[in-house]
Amino acid sequence: MRAYLSVFRLRRRLETQYRGAALGGIICQVFFGLILIALYRALYAGKPQALPFPHVATYVWLQQAFFRMLLASDADLMDKIRTGGIACDLCRPVNLYGFYYARILAQKLMGSLLRGVPMLVFAALLPEGWGIAPPASLPALLLSLAALALGLGCVSALENITMAFTMRTLDFRGMQAMLNLLMMVLSGNILPLTLFPDSWQPVITALPYAQLLDAPIRLYTGEYALSRAGGILLIQAAWTAALILLGLAMWHKNQRRMIIQGG
Amino acid sequence: MSYIHVQGLNKRFIVRRKREKGSLLREKQVIPALRDVSFDIEEGELVGYIGPNGAGKSTTVKILSGILTPDSGEAAVGGRVPWKDRKEYVKHIGVVFGQRMQLWWDVPVQDSYDLLRDIYRIPEDAYRQRLNELTEALDLGPLLRTPLRLLSLGQRMRAELCGSLLHRPRLLFLDEPTIGLDAVSKLALRDFLRWENRENRTTILLTTHDMEDIAALCPRVMVLGHGQKLYDGGLSALLSRFDRTRTVTVRYDGEPDLSVLPAGLGISREGELVRLSYEPETLPTPDLLGLLQKAGAIREMTVQPQNIDRLIADMYREMDL
Amino acid sequence: MDTIRLYLRSMAMLMKSQLQYPASFLMQTLAQLVMEGGELMAVILLIDRFDRLNQWMPGDLYFCFGLMSVSFYLTECFGRGITGNFPSMVRTGQLDTLLLRPRGVLTQVLCSAVDPRRIACIAVGTVSLVMGSRMAPVLWTPVKALLLAESVFCAFWLILGLFLIEAVLCIHSVRSVEVANALTYGGRSACQYPIDTYPRPLRVLFTVVAPFALVMHVPASHILGKPLFQWPLWTAFLAPLSGIALFGVMYLVFRRAMRFYRSAGS
Repeated sequence: MRAYLSVFRLRRRLETQYRGAALGGIICQVFFGLILIALYRALYAGKPQALPFPHVATYVWLQQAFFRMLLASDADLMDKIRTGGIACDLCRPVNLYGFYYARILAQKLMGSLLRGVPMLVFAALLPEGWGIAPPASLPALLLSLAALALGLGCVSALENITMAFTMRTLDFRGMQAMLNLLMMVLSGNILPLTLFPDSWQPVITALPYAQLLDAPIRLYTGEYALSRAGGILLIQAAWTAALILLGLAMWHKNQRRMIIQGG
Repeated sequence: MSYIHVQGLNKRFIVRRKREKGSLLREKQVIPALRDVSFDIEEGELVGYIGPNGAGKSTTVKILSGILTPDSGEAAVGGRVPWKDRKEYVKHIGVVFGQRMQLWWDVPVQDSYDLLRDIYRIPEDAYRQRLNELTEALDLGPLLRTPLRLLSLGQRMRAELCGSLLHRPRLLFLDEPTIGLDAVSKLALRDFLRWENRENRTTILLTTHDMEDIAALCPRVMVLGHGQKLYDGGLSALLSRFDRTRTVTVRYDGEPDLSVLPAGLGISREGELVRLSYEPETLPTPDLLGLLQKAGAIREMTVQPQNIDRLIADMYREMDL
Repeated sequence: MDTIRLYLRSMAMLMKSQLQYPASFLMQTLAQLVMEGGELMAVILLIDRFDRLNQWMPGDLYFCFGLMSVSFYLTECFGRGITGNFPSMVRTGQLDTLLLRPRGVLTQVLCSAVDPRRIACIAVGTVSLVMGSRMAPVLWTPVKALLLAESVFCAFWLILGLFLIEAVLCIHSVRSVEVANALTYGGRSACQYPIDTYPRPLRVLFTVVAPFALVMHVPASHILGKPLFQWPLWTAFLAPLSGIALFGVMYLVFRRAMRFYRSAGS
């Protein structure tokens, strides 16, 4: 347990060290948010939709604020996979799956807290229709936080699988790029999932990619009624459990293969 | 005027660092990299340039190769000021950094050379002739068609050297050229440098931490410390200033009685061998010999000067570097 | 002339070195294809839901997306030395090596990298461009073809110029170089759609500071037969030149920055 906690501490220190770099990232992300909202406003003006516009703006800001949760941006870890240095880790006396899970989780959480909070403050100060709207209700806020926590668990498990998978592929950068794209599109970062065709909704909202940000955001804006919250959280928990099990199995197999190959 | 003329060169770096942990304010700190450095080098000389890390060696090389502009002072190489008209100046120099490759990683060495020919605008026949000459001298023939990444470190360094000499520079800067090389490659490299210096009268300025390189190649050495020039002259003259101790290794017939030897000789044993060191200034050699003979029957014995690296370390310490 | 030959030879050599790993190259090219395909998909889905954007019909929108995509990735392909590798060249000191050769630094930086994988993105952009011009429909005339060519050509220099901002910040060792991404990648995202989509501050930004609107949207709107702001045809030929002007200015700034680099040390 202590080992996992120290992973978080290390990450926090790393993130605070790069505050200067983070500022540039925040400004950039805010700018992207403003561009997207301006675009959707113009589109809405031409053909208003059932979904009220402040929900779309809120969706955009929450996506931008937690952008860092989406992508595998642990360059250090990626380098390790590419150079084969990960083989060293395979010999360590810790549960590797748990170790990497903690590492990924820490990176996603710490990275986005530092950037996300100032962005959300900024977004809250913008006029209505541009900025982020308050949550639908207090229970909605609490439920969306719970959903975010579960979503984070789910996506970390997903990324762990990605890692186990890329370790085996010949070209890891190409694979990584494709999986990242899948993540960007299906989590609603490029285009809010709410704006995808209505007939697609049942499928895309059920995929694990939608669990990280889409589900919490819809709970926050009240698009998902409180009565449905139980079912949503259940889906998230089911995905998390399933993905962790799958990941464990894959790591186990990788580890065995590594040992057989002797390096 | 001599070929390289450096007079009163000064360079300071400004580093911004945090005043204390967590502070947002940054403090400017001025680090003097070179202080009033002057020297002259004649065409065709082979000069070693040594000093501990951070002494200002690479700053000097960067200024003389036109990458950096000094704060004050003058420098001229073959009548040209390095930091004025960079493009014209660098046609006449070559630089090899031991840890930074200039050739392209994934393509055959020959392709890299062809591109360098275009970059330096070397006429085709001059290029052919020079390439043949260098290929032979560096024994590169079989490697030309091989991508750089498949070469060993020693082969790669030879390839790099060839690349930096294709345009027949009059002056060659070498920064740690033998770092990480095995004994055979080191010797081959030194032979080549001697050849290039002799055949083409190329002036060479060699920066290194490997004192064997200096001892083997450079009749003249300059020592730099804290940005100042501390010594300029022959290597042996420099060493004799600090070289006060000799190491003696003796092999005795039978078990010697070492108790007759005075204390303070740092005696150590290694199987049959007895090793000790002494300073001829305080204990004259004939006296030591007498004592050693008293201890037992000597079968074999060698006297060595101190290890050159140790000497340099002593020297740096004494110069307070 | 000599410089162009050097550039072409460098490109040939770099391509050759990239093709040393054909499997990896194919895989990454495919990834690029999927990536830009995803961007196009987002446009298609938006059009599916909203039908139009102000006066711009689906064909117009695909055309604008394609124009941006082709220009941007042409720059990323042939200007890779600046758009991708420059920051690491400064950090690792590779830039010093370039200063030791008798050629312009910017020339050598441009000669130092190419990214042929972007051909996939350019292909997606071309598809979108063709699809858009069919749907709009555009009645092609030599004048319109010339406008399109000029627009892409000038956009190349504009985007290269904007990436030079990041290079200059890097040389001055500014820590938050990502800010420059707001203009480059932000400009790409925003100006995939016609400029009149945006409120005044963004419009000013992308017309005066980073003139994507002048370089792409003014000529594109003439090609599509819906001139922006009712500007006459000759403006459509004049406006894109602002991209080259911006590159010129940034080139001078870059040269100043290199002087700073040489006196401040690395």
